[in-house]
Amino acid sequence: MQELSSKHIIPYMEQKIRLLNQQVSSTRKGFRNQFKNLWWRKGKEDALDTTNGPVYTFSSIESQIRVLGDYAFMLRDYELAVSSYRLISTDYKLDKAWKCYAGVQEMIGLTYFMLDQSRKEAEYCMENAFNTYLKLGSAVQQNATRCGLWWIEMLKTRNQIKEAATVYFRICGEDLLHSAVMLEQASFCYLLSKPPMLHKYGFHLVLSGDHYKKCDQIKHAIRTYRNAVSVYRGTTWNLIKDRVHFHIGQWYASLGMYDVAVTHMLEILASSHQSKTSQELFLRDFLHIVQKTGKTFEVLKLQLPVINIPSLKVIFEDHRTYASPAAASIKEGVWRSLEEDMIPSLSAKSNWLDVQSKLIPRKYKESNICVAGEAIIVDIEFKNPLQIPISILNVSLICELSANPEELNSGKDINSSLVLSEVDFSLEGGETILVQLTVTPRVEGILTIVGVKWKLSSSVVGLHNFESNSVNKRIAKGRRKPKHSPSADLKFIVIKSLPRLQGFIPSLPEKTYAGDLRHLVLELNNQSKFPVKNLKMKISNPRFLNAGNQSYLNVEFPACLEKKLNVEQSDGHAKAKKMLQNVFHFPEDISVQEETSLSWPLWFHAAVPGNISLYITVYYEMENVSSIMKFRTLRMHYNLQVLPSLDVSFELSPCPSRLEEFLLRMDVVNKTSSECFQIHQLSSVGQQWDVSLLQPVDSILPSQSLFAGQVLSCFFMLKVGTTIEELAPWIIHLYRRKSSTSEDSNPLFLQSDVRLGPPGNSEALFDVCSSPLADFHDYERLYQGMSCQGNVDFVFITQLWRGNIDSGAPHRPLLFSHHVCHCSLSSFSPISWFVDGPRTIQHNFSASPCGVNLKMTINNSSDAASSVHVKTFDAPSSNSQSIDATASQSGLPLENQAGWFSIPAVNDTKVITTDALAKRITKSVSLESAPQFIWTGSSSTKLKLQPRATAEVPLQICVFAPGIYDLSNYALNWNLAPIEESQGEANKSSGECQGYPCYLTVLQST
Amino acid sequence: MTTAACFIIASRNDIPIYEAEVGSAAKREDAAQLPQFILQAALDIVQDLAWTTSAMILKTIDKFNDLVVSVYVTDDHILNISKPIHFLHFIIHTRFMLLHDSRSDDGIKSFFQEVHELYIKSLLNPLYLPGSRITSSHFDTKVGALARKYL
Repeated sequence: MQELSSKHIIPYMEQKIRLLNQQVSSTRKGFRNQFKNLWWRKGKEDALDTTNGPVYTFSSIESQIRVLGDYAFMLRDYELAVSSYRLISTDYKLDKAWKCYAGVQEMIGLTYFMLDQSRKEAEYCMENAFNTYLKLGSAVQQNATRCGLWWIEMLKTRNQIKEAATVYFRICGEDLLHSAVMLEQASFCYLLSKPPMLHKYGFHLVLSGDHYKKCDQIKHAIRTYRNAVSVYRGTTWNLIKDRVHFHIGQWYASLGMYDVAVTHMLEILASSHQSKTSQELFLRDFLHIVQKTGKTFEVLKLQLPVINIPSLKVIFEDHRTYASPAAASIKEGVWRSLEEDMIPSLSAKSNWLDVQSKLIPRKYKESNICVAGEAIIVDIEFKNPLQIPISILNVSLICELSANPEELNSGKDINSSLVLSEVDFSLEGGETILVQLTVTPRVEGILTIVGVKWKLSSSVVGLHNFESNSVNKRIAKGRRKPKHSPSADLKFIVIKSLPRLQGFIPSLPEKTYAGDLRHLVLELNNQSKFPVKNLKMKISNPRFLNAGNQSYLNVEFPACLEKKLNVEQSDGHAKAKKMLQNVFHFPEDISVQEETSLSWPLWFHAAVPGNISLYITVYYEMENVSSIMKFRTLRMHYNLQVLPSLDVSFELSPCPSRLEEFLLRMDVVNKTSSECFQIHQLSSVGQQWDVSLLQPVDSILPSQSLFAGQVLSCFFMLKVGTTIEELAPWIIHLYRRKSSTSEDSNPLFLQSDVRLGPPGNSEALFDVCSSPLADFHDYERLYQGMSCQGNVDFVFITQLWRGNIDSGAPHRPLLFSHHVCHCSLSSFSPISWFVDGPRTIQHNFSASPCGVNLKMTINNSSDAASSVHVKTFDAPSSNSQSIDATASQSGLPLENQAGWFSIPAVNDTKVITTDALAKRITKSVSLESAPQFIWTGSSSTKLKLQPRATAEVPLQICVFAPGIYDLSNYALNWNLAPIEESQGEANKSSGECQGYPCYLTVLQST
Repeated sequence: MTTAACFIIASRNDIPIYEAEVGSAAKREDAAQLPQFILQAALDIVQDLAWTTSAMILKTIDKFNDLVVSVYVTDDHILNISKPIHFLHFIIHTRFMLLHDSRSDDGIKSFFQEVHELYIKSLLNPLYLPGSRITSSHFDTKVGALARKYL
C-alpha cells in the first residue's frame, strides 16, 4: 500500500499538478490573461446567471484551478494551494457564486492554518466562510457545520478555547439535536478554558439540556442537567436553582425514577420567592410524583412547613408543677425567688439532684427528671413559606424510651408505653402556627425526644430532628440550664409516678375595681393514690391576696366581716401579723388524701389599680413514697386587671380652739364610668381616734350613692378618744392599737367607725380590726409609706350593688374598702395646749381690780419627753403706749362703766382687718382695741412633760376695767428631748408657738 | 427604548442582593429564569474584564440572541479609600448588571450612575449590612423611576 501510494499515486498527482499548472498559467497568469479574463468575464456575466450564481462545469477554468489547489493542498504544497485558491476566490466572489466562494475561503483558512503563518488571516477566512455559509441558509447547513468544526479545531489547537465555545454556539441551527450537541460541546469548552467559566458552563449545559428535552432525548437531557446541578449547588440565584431542580425532577419522573425525582423536587418545595402559580405547580408535581412511587416517603428536614427551631420550648414538671400553661411560661427566677425560703434544700444550695446522684448513673446526671404518667409539653412553631395553603396531618413527637441501664436485661418493648399526641392543622399562605405536642411516658426509664414528624398530604412524612449542635454545645459547657432555654435538653429520666396536686382559685376575677374585697377559695386536688402533707403556701403579692383562717371557709360574705360583740380578735390578728411577708403554713394535721380535694379560704383585696400578676406557690411533701423526689411545688399564676374606682383623700387641719381635735375633710371621687357605689362606713384606725360627722350625711348625699363621676366632700371631727363623750348619735368606738399602747386598755373603745349609710339602715358595721381587713390594712400601711408617729389611718368602705363588671357572684353586693394610711399629724406641733377659764365675768370694778384665774392645759402628743416654757408678755414693750393711747382715744374712762361701748369698736376693727388674716396682725389689732390687763401669775413657767402626758399650768390675769380682752400675748417654747433611735428625723425637735386668740369679756357688775 | 430588561446587583460573592424587572414587556412565565441565567453567565466575563480596564461601565460585554448585558462595576478604589477597611472590602466588587435588548448607551450610562448613587446612600444606612439583600422599598421605587426615565 505504501508502495502503491508512493510509487503511483503521488507521481500521478504531481504530474497532474504540473499539467494543470501549465493550463492555468497559460490562461490566467500574466497581465495579458488577466486583461482578457476581465473582458471575457463581463460578457459571460450577462448570459449565465442562475439564482445560485453561475454553474461551473468541471472543464471550466475555475474548476480546473480549484482542482489544482486541492492537489497542491494534498501534496502539502501549501504555497501553491493558497495562490490558486486566492486566484479563484476573487472570481467566485465576483460571480456571486457564494457557495463556491465559501468553500474556497474555508480552504484558504485551512491552508493558512497548515502554514501556521498568519493566524489573523486564517481566522478571518474561516469566519468569512462560515458567515457565507450561514447566509446561504439551511441548504448548506452541513457545510457550515463542517466549516465551524474546522474553525473550532483551529482555535483549540491554539488554546483559544473560549472563542471555540462561541463558535460552537454559533453553529447551532434550527435542528434541535444538532444544537443540543453543539451547546454541550460549548459548555465543555467553557469548563476547559482557563480560568474555567463555570457560570457559562452551567448556562450552556442548561440550554443544551433544554434542546435535548425538546427532541425527546431525555436521558441526555438529564445528563446535562446533572452536570448543571453540580454547578448550581448552593447558589443564591434562586430562580436558576428552582428551574434546574424542577426540570430534572420532572424528567426523572417521566423516566420512572421516582426516588431521584423526589429528591430534586424537595429542593424547590419551599421556594417562597416564586409566584403563587409556580408554587402550586411545584407542589402538585411533587405530590404527583410521590403518589406514583406508591410508598410513603420519610423525608428528613422537609422544608414544608418550616420549623422555627428557636421557638422550641419544652415544658416538663419535675418537682415544679404548674397549674396552668401561663404559669409555666413565667420566668424561673420569679418562682425561685418566691420559693426561696419555702424549699429547704434550695436555700442550702444542694438540691435533690445531689440526693439522686447515688441512684442514677453519672452519665444521666445532667438530664432532666420527669414523672411517669405526666405529660411533657413541647411547643413548636410551624411556618408556611408558600402563598398557597397547605394542610399538615398527624403532627407528633418522635420519642425514644429506653429502660434504665441496670434494667436493660428485662427486654420488654418499652416504647409501647409512650403516649403521644397527634395534631392536625392547616396553614394559610405565609401563616405561622404554634403547635403544642405532648408525650406522656407510662413507665420509668430514660426518655429522649428525638424530633418531630408530620404528614404532608397522605404519603409524605416529614421528619425533623431536634438534636442539633446547640445541644452538643450545652453538654460541652457542662452546665444545667433552666428549662426555658430554647435548646432544652431533650433527655429525661422518667421516675416513678408521684402525687401531683392540682390547684385553682375558681372565682378569682379577671377584672375588677380597686378596693374590691372578696372571699375566695383555693381548691387543691390530689389525683394520685398517695396523700401529701406538710403544705405550705406563699403568695407573691400579699397586698392583694392572702390566706385566711380555716374557720372562714364556709362563712357568708360579707356578713362574716360584720362587727360582732364578744369576739376575741387578738388571736387571729396576732397570727396574721406574724405571717406578714412570710410563708403561710397550713396546719400540721392537714393532708390531702388520695383523690380528694382541699379547700382553703383566701382573701382578695384589689389594693391599687393596674395590671397585677399574682404568683402563688404551694409546697407539699409526699407521704410514704420512697422516691428521689421528696417534695413538689405547685405554681399558680393569675393575671388580673384592676380598674380605678374611688379616689379617696383626706385632709386634716387642727381645730384651734380645742385640744387634740382636728377637722377632717374627706374627698371622694367616683372615677368609674358607669358604676354607682353606695357609701357605707368610715373607720379610723389609728391612735385612739374618734371620728364623728359634723353634719348628717343626708344633707350632703341624700341618696347615699356615688354615681359615676360624682364628687363627695364630707367633714368630720376627729378627736382623741380618751375624752369620749356619748353625745354623738353614731356608734363610736375607740380603737387603741396594740402596738402603741398596752393591750389591757378598755377593749370596748378600740376604734371608731362612722356609719355613712342611710340612717334607718340597721346594717351592721364592718369590723376593721378583724382578720382580713386588718391584715390588708397592715399591708397597706406597709406599702403606703414609712410608719411614723402621730398618724391616723382611715378605711372607707363602700358597696356596689349591681356591678357592670364581670364578677363571680352577681347577686351579692361587692364590697370595696379603700385604705388611706398615714394621714399626717406630724406637721403640727407635738405640743398642743388649751387655755381654759371663765368666758364672761361680772365684776364690780369700783371695789377692786378683777383677778381672773386661768388654766392652761398642755399636752405632749409626741413619744419624747419635752420641756415647755410658757412666757407671758406682761407689758408689751412696744405696744403699751399705743394701747394706752387707744384706750384713752376710745374715750372709755374707767368710771364711765361703759363696757358695752367697746364692742362695736372691736367689730369695726375686725371689719377693717378681715383681709389680713395673719395672726400677728389680728393680735396686734385686737390688742390695740382691747383695754389693758396684766398677767399676774409667774411670768415664765418651765415644766417637763413626759411622753403623751398632760400638765396644767395655772395662769392669772388682772383686769382693771370692763371690756373684751384677747389673752393671746403669751408664747410657748418647747423642746423635745432627743430619744434614742428616733424614727422621725423629719420631726421638729423644738419650736415656739404664739398664743391663740382667746377672748375674755369682763362686765361691770351692778 | 428597551422593551424587556432585568436589573440585578450582584455582591462580592456573586450573590444577587437586588433584583428588579425594569422592562415594560410582559414576562412569559416559562422564561422567568432566563435573565438570571444570562446575567449569571455574564459574571464570568465581568470577572475577566473588570481587572483589565479602569472604566466603570462595561458596555455590551455579553449577548444572548438579541439580549445584551451591560455591567457597571463600582470602582471604589479611590472613592472609599478613607473609609474603614471592611467597608471597602464589601463594596469593591459590587456589580450592577443590566440585561437589555437595545443600545441606548447614554441612557444606560446615566441609569447606572444614578443607581450607584442610590446604592451608596443605602450603604450609608447604618442598619444595612453590606453584602446583604437590599429590601428597602424606597430603593425599589427609586430604581423603578430611574428605569422609566433612562431606559
